[in-house]
Amino acid sequence: MKALRAVFVREWRLASAGGGGPAGPAAFMLAALALVPLAIGPDPDILRAAAPGVIAFAALLASLQGAERMFGDDLSDGTLELYALSPVSLTALSAIKAAAYVSAVLWPAPVIGFVAAMAYGMDGPSAGALSLGLVLALPGLALVSGFAGALAAGVKRAGLLIALIAAPLQVPLLVFVAGVGRAALEGTGLAGANLMLAGAFSLAALALAPFGMAAALKGRLE
Amino acid sequence: MWSAFANPERFERLAARLVPWFGWGAVILFAIGLPWALIISPPDYQQGDTVRIMYVHVPSAWLSMAAYAGLGGASFVYFIWRHNVADLAAQALAPIGAVFAFLTLATGSLWGRPMWGTWWEWDARLTSMLVLFLLYLGYMALRAAIEDERLAARAGAILAMAGLINLPIIKFSVDWWNTLHQPASVIRLDGPTIHASQLWPLLVMALAFTALMTALVFMNVRNMSLARRAEARARRKIEGGEG
Repeated sequence: MKALRAVFVREWRLASAGGGGPAGPAAFMLAALALVPLAIGPDPDILRAAAPGVIAFAALLASLQGAERMFGDDLSDGTLELYALSPVSLTALSAIKAAAYVSAVLWPAPVIGFVAAMAYGMDGPSAGALSLGLVLALPGLALVSGFAGALAAGVKRAGLLIALIAAPLQVPLLVFVAGVGRAALEGTGLAGANLMLAGAFSLAALALAPFGMAAALKGRLE
Repeated sequence: MWSAFANPERFERLAARLVPWFGWGAVILFAIGLPWALIISPPDYQQGDTVRIMYVHVPSAWLSMAAYAGLGGASFVYFIWRHNVADLAAQALAPIGAVFAFLTLATGSLWGRPMWGTWWEWDARLTSMLVLFLLYLGYMALRAAIEDERLAARAGAILAMAGLINLPIIKFSVDWWNTLHQPASVIRLDGPTIHASQLWPLLVMALAFTALMTALVFMNVRNMSLARRAEARARRKIEGGEG
């Protein structure tokens, strides 16, 4: 437990010291969301209708931003080998790293999502529901990104590979988060169901992805 | 009994014996199925002649999913028991499955244009099929990106197993979501709802496609196994041992 806490704190420090913490993905998401109205035009009806999907999509892309660093740095500087030698299982370490990634790097996504939803003309409750959907989806996004990051660790130009691996697996989250916003906007009463599905996917990812990450890392270290 | 085929040479001999059977089987089945499906079978009362696209589309879809199931299964076997043949099978299945997935999307798109009035619709089944295609691409890209052969095989196996989650999503997408794509009409509990005059050519075409894919996979496995051995021999020569 102590070791896991130490790893968690280390991830936090590394994220905020060298990587600017949440600034990278947040700036990416903000920039993407600021460009969308320029691309599809300022028509408020279209913007409002597109908001849930566009915001969920921007959050998904933002979650991929830090995936390369999640394991790539630890592999190249040998930290991962020390982790593997320690009595703590790589599975638990992977889960902790994903948790640190969410809490230190990705946390602004729901906030930005809320602000952007309001700016795109969604009403308060719908924007809140969408934001809550992002909160529930973030662990899943981070775990799948981390899984892709672990598979691609140490590969040249890993970023492209990570996007190709993670994006198909993150599709359900994209569908459910956008579904929350759209259902809330249209008042179909299915927002709750979509919320629960997003949460369920995150839980399923929590149950499976750490084992996948650990297996991928073990292969790397052999 | 299965571990008997873990020996690459024995597997190679078996493959060499099976390839002509499946290859000629495919030729004969296509010789029956293609004219039956494309010329003899009656046009659909609603879809007219475009229904004939279905005879390519449906077998491709089945096989692209079957190939992925095989890829996942072979990856599992390789991951647990480290049988080289399983890895070869996975590697051989990936490009073939990807081609079938692409065929499914392309023929579906061609059919969708006159029938739905659109080349592409973001409906659950089309999207999950596209995801399957991307999974194949991701698998091949990952293997190509990692230089060390064994590392690539392990990483690929893990990814292929994770991607298995998508298969039930594709299969049941037409039941879970209210989609434009029609629900299953052949494999159902209450029997097929497709008319016999279309079902039989479809089944023959499906068998023909299956035989073709099996032959291609066995050929691919053999080629790769030979290539690996040739490479190993060349390396031994360079390193000074006798070839």
